[in-house]
Amino acid sequence: MKHPNQEALALYAGSDLGFFARWRVERHLAKCDVCVDEVASFEAMREIVTDLAEIPEVPWNRLAAEMKANIRLGLAAGECVRKETPLRERPVFTGIRAAVAVASIVTLAVTGLVMEPHARVGEKAESRTVLQGIQNGIEVEGSGRAFRLLNTGATDVTVSVGVQSVGARYVDPKTGQVTVNKVYVE
Amino acid sequence: MWSRTQQRLIVLGWVSAAGLLAQEAPLPGGSVSINLSKDSPVTLVTMNSGQSSVTARGAAIVLNLHMDFTLRNDGSNRIHGVMLRVVSQEATPGGKGSVTYPSLNVGPGEVFPVRIDMQLVRPTQVAAGPLAQVDLDGVLYQDLSFYGPDRLHSKRYLTACELEAQRDREYFKRVLAQSGREGLRQQILQSGARQRQTDAAPLNVRVVRSGPSVTSAGLPAEHSAKFALVQFPDAPVELVEGSAQIAGNEARAPHIDVVNRSGKAVKYLELGWVLSDPAGRQSVAAALPSPERDLYLAPGKRTSVLQETTLRLFSNSGQPANVQGLTGFINEVEFVDGKVWVPSRLNLDALGQMAPPSAEEQRLFNVYLKKNIDGLIEELKKF
Repeated sequence: MKHPNQEALALYAGSDLGFFARWRVERHLAKCDVCVDEVASFEAMREIVTDLAEIPEVPWNRLAAEMKANIRLGLAAGECVRKETPLRERPVFTGIRAAVAVASIVTLAVTGLVMEPHARVGEKAESRTVLQGIQNGIEVEGSGRAFRLLNTGATDVTVSVGVQSVGARYVDPKTGQVTVNKVYVE
Repeated sequence: MWSRTQQRLIVLGWVSAAGLLAQEAPLPGGSVSINLSKDSPVTLVTMNSGQSSVTARGAAIVLNLHMDFTLRNDGSNRIHGVMLRVVSQEATPGGKGSVTYPSLNVGPGEVFPVRIDMQLVRPTQVAAGPLAQVDLDGVLYQDLSFYGPDRLHSKRYLTACELEAQRDREYFKRVLAQSGREGLRQQILQSGARQRQTDAAPLNVRVVRSGPSVTSAGLPAEHSAKFALVQFPDAPVELVEGSAQIAGNEARAPHIDVVNRSGKAVKYLELGWVLSDPAGRQSVAAALPSPERDLYLAPGKRTSVLQETTLRLFSNSGQPANVQGLTGFINEVEFVDGKVWVPSRLNLDALGQMAPPSAEEQRLFNVYLKKNIDGLIEELKKF
C-alpha cells in the first residue's frame, strides 16, 4: 500500500488540502490505521501551536525603531573616523597593475609599427587615382577600384605616359594588328 | 535520420562548395554592349564574349571581359585607323579607356578583327545591366578625312599616327631604293632593336593626378630643376625654357615656355619629357600636352605649357629612383586648320632612344619577323 506523504497528511490535519487531494487522503485513511495515527499526531501538534499564540504580544514596532536608530548611529560614527581621500588622488593602477598596463600599451604601439607597411623612401601616400603600367597591361586605379586594359600574349609592349592617360602599344598576337590601349582619368 | 553533427557537416559542405563555385563564374549575356550609330561606316559582323568571367579575389570582385568581334568597312574609302571608346561607369574611378588600331589598310567591304581584353576590379557585387560599353570614337581614312564623335580626340591622334606611318614607309622605301634589300634588312633590324631597348627601358614612370600628396619623411626637400631642351630646326614651335619641381623620385608641375615660329596659329601642342636618374638612365618619354581648350597660340606669340601633374620614377624592379635630370622636346603640333605636325626622321635621330619607334615601324618589323624581307618589301609596295 502506498501511503500519502507527510506533507499531505499535515495539510489534511489542518483542513488545508484541496478537494480532490482531500478525497484521496480520506479514502486512504479509511483503510490505514498508521496514517490515521499520523494525522492524529499532527492535530495534537496543531493544538499546541495554537497555545503559543496566547503568549503576551511582543512590541515588534518598538524593537524595529530601536534597531534602525542603532544602525544610523553606527554609520555616523564610521563617517567621523573615516580618513577622506579625494577621488582624483586615488591611483587607478598601482604597483603591478600599472606595470602591466604600461607594458600592454608599449606592446600595442610596437606591434602597430611593425605591421604597418613600410613607406619607401621617395614614395608618397597613395590616396589618389594612379595611372600606371602593370604586368600585362595598363590601369587606372583608386579607392579599391581599377579599370585595366590587358595586352594578353603580347611580347614587345611600348608604354606611353601622358598627363591624363597611360597607353600600351603592341602587336596583338591573335589579330596581328598594332593595338594601342589607353586608360584615362578625368 | 541524420544526427545533429551530420546535419551540421552537410550544411558546412554545401556552403563551402557554393563558396568555391563563386570563385570563378561566367558573366551573364549582355555584360558587354556595343553601340554603333546608324550612319557608322563600320558595322558589327560577329561578336564573342563567351570567355568573360567574374572572380572573387579576397573582398574584391574581378570581372574579366574578353571581347572578340569583327567589324566591316561599309564606307567607300580605305580605313587607315579606328579608335573605340570603352567605358565602364560602374567600376571606373572617373576613368575610361580606348582601344585604337592605327596602321590599318582596310578596303571597302573588307572586314577586320578587334580584340579587347579588359579587367574591372570593384569592391562590391556585380550590378545588373552592361558592365562595359564599347562605341566608336573615330575612323580615319586614307585621305585623312575623318568620321566620328571624337570625344577622345581620336582625329588628332589617328592623324598623327597616319603621318608617322607615311613618314616611316617613305623612309624605308628610300632605304630600299638606295641600299637595296640588305640595306632595308639592316634598317628594319635596327628599328626592332630600338623597339626592344625602349620596351626594356631601365626606368618607368607612374602618373599621379593633381599635384603632390603628403610627403613622407624620407623625401628630400623639393627644388626647382631646369629642362634640357632638344630643339628641332624644322619644328613650327620653339622651346624657350622650362622647369619642374623635383623631390626624391618625383617630378611635378612641369612647365615649358614655347614660341610659335610658324605662320599659322596653333591650337594644340604636345611636348615630350624624359626623366633621368643620377646614373644617367632615362625613362620612357612622357607626354606633356597643352590644355585641350585654352590654347590659341598666334604666330610669333609665346606661352607656357604647364600641367599640375606628378610623375614618379621607378626602376624596372619597382624601386623608386631619384630624379636627377629633365629633358624636353616637341612631339606634336596641331594648327587651327586641323593640320598636324610630327617630328621628321632626322629629328628622331636627334632624340636617340628617348623616342620609341612609331606604330608603323612596329607593324613593319612584325611583318619582317613573319614574312622575312620579301614580305616586308611587298607590304611597302601596298602603299
